[in-house]
Amino acid sequence: MIYLKGIKKSFNQLPVLKGINLKIEKGEVVTILGPSGSGKTTLLRCLNFLEKPNAGLVQIGNIIVDAEKATKKEMLAIRKQSAMVFQHYNLFAHKTVVENVMEGLIVAKKVKKKDARQQSERVLDKVGLSDKLDHYPSQLSGGQQQRVGIARALALNPEVILFDEPTSALDPELVGDVLSVIKSIAQEGITMVVVTHEMSFAREVSNRVLFMDEGVIVEEGTPLEIFHAAKEERTRRFLQRISGETYFLPLKEQVN
Amino acid sequence: MGKAFDIMLIFEFIPTLIHYLGVTLQILAVSIILGFVLGIAAAIPRLYKIPLLNQLVILYVSFIRGTPILIQLFLVFYGLPALLMLLFSIDITRMEAIYFVIITYAISNGAGFSEIFRAAIRAVDYGQTEAAFSVGMTSRQNFFRIVLPQAVRIAFPNMANSVIGSLKDTSLAFTIGVMDMMGRGDTLIAATAHALEVYLSLSIIYYIVVLLFEKIFSKLEKYFNRYQKADVTAVA
Ligand SMILES: Nc1ncnc2c1ncn2[C@@H]1O[C@H](COP(=O)(O)OP(=O)(O)O)[C@@H](O)[C@H]1O
Ligand SMILES: [Mg+2]
Repeated sequence: MIYLKGIKKSFNQLPVLKGINLKIEKGEVVTILGPSGSGKTTLLRCLNFLEKPNAGLVQIGNIIVDAEKATKKEMLAIRKQSAMVFQHYNLFAHKTVVENVMEGLIVAKKVKKKDARQQSERVLDKVGLSDKLDHYPSQLSGGQQQRVGIARALALNPEVILFDEPTSALDPELVGDVLSVIKSIAQEGITMVVVTHEMSFAREVSNRVLFMDEGVIVEEGTPLEIFHAAKEERTRRFLQRISGETYFLPLKEQVN
Repeated sequence: MGKAFDIMLIFEFIPTLIHYLGVTLQILAVSIILGFVLGIAAAIPRLYKIPLLNQLVILYVSFIRGTPILIQLFLVFYGLPALLMLLFSIDITRMEAIYFVIITYAISNGAGFSEIFRAAIRAVDYGQTEAAFSVGMTSRQNFFRIVLPQAVRIAFPNMANSVIGSLKDTSLAFTIGVMDMMGRGDTLIAATAHALEVYLSLSIIYYIVVLLFEKIFSKLEKYFNRYQKADVTAVA
């Protein structure tokens, strides 16, 4: 379970998160939508203290941290409750695929090397990369790299996996592969918070959709509620704009 | 003027001179290792912007860069004993000259290395550090397991250049009386008056050693770059 209370974050006096309250149950898949600059990434990064909130309470699993007084030790403890999949993959460039996945297990979870390798191979099999174990990230396509990123997160078996636009840096033809991997782990009951612009994912996979704008959660609900019966004008405008863009895409492709 | 040029003398001089290559390599090795440690120590205040120390390191690096190594050598040779006498009444005037040489080159290498390390550590993609944190690593674990190995790769070509430069710089050690290859060459010239043959012999030896170093370094560089698609050259 995740619980956020009164999360505030400013960069250079500029408020980016204006008091976020949020509760996420175990096994829930939550997508966060919102225009660029609305604070989605910052919210995810406050969850694992890559950004330290200026105020508020963060709870993941049985670890609770008061952001204002957070010590290094507490931040480390709460980080170990989550794992993150980054927009630009952020794989360890000097380590092979399997080593990338093993690293967190060995260093942070103190798993024995041999066991870590076994677990990592199993997870890599799940994301369809059994044949790339000893490749370096630079030898992989973007889609493959992102699947390593997902495996790295998944192997830690965390309370929650945080996805920050996991497909937005990919070539369009590679998006489907990565999305289907994320879908398949969503169906395993792993708690996930996903920032995405993939409306089909939000609609079909998530239990709950949040719409953020200007540092607040404007509206939340089931995909059905948000996509078909949004109460807030801002939400409706955003969805209209986004769906406008996606309707145009296939047209453009036909023309080409 | 010396005597008439005699090419056969070169074959005679090279074995005599090569005998002293060990001293040269010793100076090089010790000053590189000490310089390495000093370089890391000096890079840290720069990276973490530690007040005062940061400014001191900046001054240290710019002074070393801005003065000839020969003068640094004399400054250490004459200055260090005077300083130690003044501050702690320790008399090191009778310390062997080679130690002054090693100290000078360590200080000089340390300045160069600190800049190379600093640039290399900065050049490692910060996203990987965030990924390391996200899987639960501490700052220290991130530094040693993720950042440093990649910084070493980035720093390596510049380090290799420094080592080769340093090897050639050791040829100044004879000016304060160290009996390395140059020192021995000096005495050979005094004894035979065949200066040109001595300098030709010396250049052959230095050149071959440098070529050997370059060969080894390029092998190592290939190893370090094994995970790199295209060669990424350092920023320093
Ligand atoms: N490290 C930072 N320093 C300064 N400003 C930042 C930083 N990170 C984010 N911001 C600002 O915070 C706002 C929200 O950013 P972000 O959370 O990345 O939005 P989103 O992910 O929704 O696009 C933006 O205006 C951005 O410029
Ligand atoms: Mg973002």
